Amino acid sequence: MGQGGHPRRAQAYDGELGAAVERAQGGDESAFAVAYRIVQPGLLGYLRGLVGDDAEDVASDAWLEISRDLGRFKGDGAGFRGWTATIARHRALDHLRRQRVRPRASALESDLLELPGPHSTHDQALESLATERALDLVRGLPRDQAEAVLLRVVVGLDGPAAARVLGKRPGAVRTAAHRGLKRLAGQLGGEGGAGSVTDDAPRTLGESK
Amino acid sequence: MGERLSGGGLPGRRRVHPGDAGPGSGPADDAAGVEALLAAAMRGDGVDTEAEGRAVAAFRAARDAGEHRARVRTRRRDDWRPREQRRGARSVKATLSVLVASLTLGGVAFAAIGTGGSSDHGSGDRGGRTEQTTAAPGTSGGRPTASGSPTDSGRPDHPATAQDTAAHCRAYEQVGGRGKALESTAWRRLVEAAGGEEKVADYCDRQLAAESATRKPTKTGKPGGDAPGAGKGDGKGAGGGTGQNADNADNNASTDNNANTDNSANTDNNANTDNADNSVNGTSGQDGDTGKQKVDESKVQGDQGDGGKERGQ
Repeated sequence: MGQGGHPRRAQAYDGELGAAVERAQGGDESAFAVAYRIVQPGLLGYLRGLVGDDAEDVASDAWLEISRDLGRFKGDGAGFRGWTATIARHRALDHLRRQRVRPRASALESDLLELPGPHSTHDQALESLATERALDLVRGLPRDQAEAVLLRVVVGLDGPAAARVLGKRPGAVRTAAHRGLKRLAGQLGGEGGAGSVTDDAPRTLGESK
Repeated sequence: MGERLSGGGLPGRRRVHPGDAGPGSGPADDAAGVEALLAAAMRGDGVDTEAEGRAVAAFRAARDAGEHRARVRTRRRDDWRPREQRRGARSVKATLSVLVASLTLGGVAFAAIGTGGSSDHGSGDRGGRTEQTTAAPGTSGGRPTASGSPTDSGRPDHPATAQDTAAHCRAYEQVGGRGKALESTAWRRLVEAAGGEEKVADYCDRQLAAESATRKPTKTGKPGGDAPGAGKGDGKGAGGGTGQNADNADNNASTDNNANTDNSANTDNNANTDNADNSVNGTSGQDGDTGKQKVDESKVQGDQGDGGKERGQ
């Protein structure tokens, strides 16, 4: 399991995704469905991080735009991830702007600030880490870190693509993602006792000084 | 141990505060674990088929409305091709536009050369043009031509020194001992040549007399003699102010080299006397240059004219 474990997994579909997008641009409906199924989970995860419970609605809006502008898109599977993420992000920001204009009392906001409570073991924490809790953790991060982490890890973009989606320099996004992940790891580690997902014994020794 | 306590009951926390422990494998592995965890949790399982149906319906509608046609323009934000490809496409475009621009400009330049040449002299213009181009380096890039001898060391045995001296003398009279001009290299040289500061006046008188003797025939004999004459008139007008004089003199000192090397290009050319004269008389260095160029061109053209005439006859 490498550090970029998930992005690599996402990229494994990129060939298939690129082919599907190309066929969809040619008018193939089922190919569009294939592309949707590949892209949507990551996109939805990203949107959950941005707009919480409204993610499904915003994703629907985004897909409307994606379907409409598909003819304009140029690129491969990885490019399609970035392109769709950009559209989804714009829709999410629109959504947040509208929300700010007429605020709606949402229980989500206050929940976000609470840190997760302690669990008996780290493994248990992992098992019990449902979408809601992951969401809480991510939304507890500063905005730039949360977005960078989500784009890298959940959507599966590489550094430059994530930077392009965010309209920032790649270095800044890399730093933000790194800090965000470190912070999340800290929070997760704080929940459990000794030991971790990957290994335990040797590191305990290294840490003891 | 102390860390553990200060962690507020969250002992594992110290693992991700790298602190003095150094960048061990700990944080990286944790990050990997967190990534996998987060991806699994946030991406969820399965896809809402209803939402998928809506998206596919939207796709169908857009397709049937013809919005996926190739004619829709790809905006920059829709272009997610790998960078090399994008750059490649752009560089092809850039190359083409550069090519077109160079062809256009080159064509214009070529046409301009053609009209300029043919309007001047009909048959003799081919030879004339080549002559002009070979003459040009001598005027503008005069210094490189004389590179065999650096300007200063090459000066004393140069045939045109007398003319330069005459020019300095004339400027010396105008400056009349004011300003810093007398400290400049050219003046020091003049003083050396005269053999002392007090002898400069006498020395100059002699030089000027000799110089005017050689110069007189020029005006009547040379066909291109008009141009230097005009330049001289300008120079006198510009040199009127006293404050400017010193500056002008300085300028002259620097133009001096040009005049000199120019002479080396066409030795013993009488027109050059006028030239040096012209530059010393108080015009700026640039005026001197243009005057010189004028002289050369007019001379060349005069020659061409002659050639043409001969050919015509």
